[in-house]
Amino acid sequence: MTLRKLLFSLFALSCQFVSAQNDYINNLKEVVVSDRTLYSSNKSQSIQVLNDSVINKNQSSLSNLLNYNSVLYFKEYGRGMLSTVSFRGTTASQTAVIWNGINVNSQLNGSADFNTFTAPDFNTISIKAGGGSISYGSGAIGGTVHLSNDLVFKNKFENDLRLDYGSFNTVGVNYKLVLADKKWSTQLGFSRNSSDNDYPYVNQYTWDGVQRKNENGQYATTNLYANIGCKVKPNSVITFYSQSSNTDRNLSLISEFDSKTKYVNTFSRNLLEYATTKDRFSSNYKVAYLAEQYQYFENIESKDFSFGKSESFIAKMDLGYKITDFIKLNGILDYNRTKGFGTSFGDNTRQIGGIAVKAVEQHNEKWQNELGFRKEATTDYESPFLFSLGSSYKFNSFYNLKFNVSRNFRIPTFNDLYWETGGNPDLKPESSYQVEVGNVFTYKKFTLSETVYFMKISDLIRWAPLDGSNWTPENIDRVNSYGSETNLSWGNSYGKNNIALNASYAYTVSENLETGEQLIYVPYHKLNSNVSYSYKKISAMYQFLFNGAVTTPSQKYHLVKEYWVSNLGAYYDLGTKSTYKIGLQALNLFNQNYQSISQHYMPGRNFLINLTFKF
Amino acid sequence: MNFSKLILIMVTFSIFFVSCTNDDNNSDTPLGSYDNGFLILNQGGFGHNDASVSYVSADFATAQNDIFSVVNPSITLGDTGQDVGFNGDLAYIVLNGSNKIEIVNRYTLKSAGAISTGLKNPRYIAFANGKGYVTNWGDGGVATDDYVAVIDLTAKKVSTSIPVEEGPEKIIANSGKLYVAHKGGYSYGTKVSVIDATSNTVSTTITVGDVPESMEIKDGTLWVACSGNPSYVSTPLVETAGRIVKVNLSTNTVSSTIAYSDATKHLSNLVLNGSDVYYTIDSDVYKMSASATALPTASAFSTTSQGVYGVYSFAVHGSHIYVGDAGDYTHNGKVYVYALTSPSIGSLEKTFSVGVIPAGFYFND
Repeated sequence: MTLRKLLFSLFALSCQFVSAQNDYINNLKEVVVSDRTLYSSNKSQSIQVLNDSVINKNQSSLSNLLNYNSVLYFKEYGRGMLSTVSFRGTTASQTAVIWNGINVNSQLNGSADFNTFTAPDFNTISIKAGGGSISYGSGAIGGTVHLSNDLVFKNKFENDLRLDYGSFNTVGVNYKLVLADKKWSTQLGFSRNSSDNDYPYVNQYTWDGVQRKNENGQYATTNLYANIGCKVKPNSVITFYSQSSNTDRNLSLISEFDSKTKYVNTFSRNLLEYATTKDRFSSNYKVAYLAEQYQYFENIESKDFSFGKSESFIAKMDLGYKITDFIKLNGILDYNRTKGFGTSFGDNTRQIGGIAVKAVEQHNEKWQNELGFRKEATTDYESPFLFSLGSSYKFNSFYNLKFNVSRNFRIPTFNDLYWETGGNPDLKPESSYQVEVGNVFTYKKFTLSETVYFMKISDLIRWAPLDGSNWTPENIDRVNSYGSETNLSWGNSYGKNNIALNASYAYTVSENLETGEQLIYVPYHKLNSNVSYSYKKISAMYQFLFNGAVTTPSQKYHLVKEYWVSNLGAYYDLGTKSTYKIGLQALNLFNQNYQSISQHYMPGRNFLINLTFKF
Repeated sequence: MNFSKLILIMVTFSIFFVSCTNDDNNSDTPLGSYDNGFLILNQGGFGHNDASVSYVSADFATAQNDIFSVVNPSITLGDTGQDVGFNGDLAYIVLNGSNKIEIVNRYTLKSAGAISTGLKNPRYIAFANGKGYVTNWGDGGVATDDYVAVIDLTAKKVSTSIPVEEGPEKIIANSGKLYVAHKGGYSYGTKVSVIDATSNTVSTTITVGDVPESMEIKDGTLWVACSGNPSYVSTPLVETAGRIVKVNLSTNTVSSTIAYSDATKHLSNLVLNGSDVYYTIDSDVYKMSASATALPTASAFSTTSQGVYGVYSFAVHGSHIYVGDAGDYTHNGKVYVYALTSPSIGSLEKTFSVGVIPAGFYFND
């Protein structure tokens, strides 16, 4: 007891809190996950898993979920607006979002907008820190975020309905149906989250004393999905995942008389997969079709818009062979054909072929070694030779040491290559070398992980006015990023009292080697924590987020101040056999005035009521 | 009860998590008078809401940045400063991104109101017949909604608007008429519109050449600098050379044109000063006689030794030449002051660090 207290105050004093490693407990015999090797082949890196109970306690946007539950730092242009990420001090296009094993970052701008994803649409959301281009391709430099729909093969009929209503006429409907037996598994879902989003800015008034508020910030995100699996044989599964999404947003004004504009993003993602194992052989075939489109309306009253669209066809073959009981070898061939077109660029098609070899040696129960190589070929640019080498050694039940070194990349986007005017067809991919050492300590109910990393990124693509007025992208910048990530989780029960604590802290230095300055919108410190408590049918949660100050590209408003935000939630389950849960959340409990992106104020204290039915 | 202690620690911890940076207060105090010198409008970064005004005294001894905020701390100037127009004691600051005009006393910078309705993508301002005239693009992507807003200066409101061709940019007034250069907005214009300030209608349009960029009027002649189409135009357009076009204002017809033969020469920033004409191409400053019949091939001087990528703003005033350098368009820009004649044209006299993207010089004397 004393030790525990001591440990705890030690952590509290040194600010080394937060983050939360939720145990990934899933009976894999019954559940088929789309990305089978994510956990088993990546033991040399840290993976944080958020399961559906965590997802359901949080606000529905993926951006909010990860902001309060991981070390990822978000840049949000006002509540619900464009939200991009910085992971380990990297840029928005250096974190890859992986939907059921497939990289779904935008082909047009390279990044993912986390406010276009609705977290309850997925069963598990995993955050893998560090390089992953061997398995996940372009953009897996800072890390990867994995959105997974897990299919269950047992007799099950379950309806999941979550209704949200909150301040600023925020309305959420999230529905999921699971229908499964031992052969078939089906998941159908629908979600729609919208808000008038006309929140007042805390303590902000115009010069003549009028309360300022968020104007033109309306948004609505709609998702439809269907995931179907069939066990054709005990060791062969065919699965089909399909998701369509539409995010319709007006763009919040930065001052009262700005032109009112809006943005509509639509996505369609489809994946057909066949996986089979026989003796020492395993094989996995994937075909996917992805489409993304944006429409930008310069005037919300007008029907005129500019647009960009991309359509990708992806085929992937992964053949595995267990050389011995301990060594598994995988050979992967993939092909990606993407067509991009739109108002500001012509019709361009890019084809990429890739070959990869991965080996996992499970030396014994304590020691696992991982090695991988990947090389892509395309007509557009020269691709670097990628590799990853890692090892995980569990000294004892208390201590696990992890080590990983890798080379990763981010390919030039359609905007970078073909934008009219300025697109530069001669760009090289951005590439990075990265080394990390992770320490995981487990003591009784504590898990503490501490990872330090160093990353050297070169050929960063930046748009600059090279001859005065013509902006064009060039491989200009070189960046060194280094820092540490600390995650702590703890949980215990005292009679009918259950308490759990998750906390994470990231210290990040991301230095432009030319200027010696920290990159814009990368905080040195990010800290977040969740404390949850339950007693019988009552539960409560307190969330806390601290983001350090960041610099902006503006000279006049050069700093976005540090901020801390707290959320408090209380839940009561009225059901006996089924779940009928009512929840009340007070968000930004202490009514802080804060901005994530300069000039884009976030809301003050606001409230959300949830009803969750499971039947 | 271990867990209650834990909660207590957590909550206390979060409440007392104090700020580590202070507000970035601008400690500058207003100079009181911004007379006898010039104002520089700094465009600011698009979407950053950080347009600003700088002041430099005529003897270059005093300079102050961000003077609008210093004098009017409760007002945000706005996004993308485009132009400043002087009328009497007032200065009208046109904010393109914020769709408004902030009005200040030109000598004290004290706010005297704002015009915030009836403007859509406002660009430049001129005054005639006791009214203000502001060019507006409307929606940039729409070619048919461009107009000139007529401002009732007493009521500080847009009283009427005059539809014009696409992309109205610079506007100048002369003898009850306004001349609007159609640089083209999102496309490439070729015309100048003439507006009658009595009837507030377009009386005629004059085809001058590709991309009319700047204008001057002297002795009944309108001088128009046409940049020519840039290298990146898409077909069927082709890159064209810059030219200077003179229009006889009594007949509204082109009286002469002198052009470069090299299509990559794109001129801008035309200034008439005495009997001389000045303009810029990229980082170079050119000078010729007003009576010249061909454009000079050699520049008078170059600003490249100051590291200027391209002259962003330009003025000739008194015995000096003023160049605004936007640099990388992200960090604060520079203003370079060069000698006009003595000791020699283009000798660097002063350098000032100003706000982001210095877009224009306005002489307060």
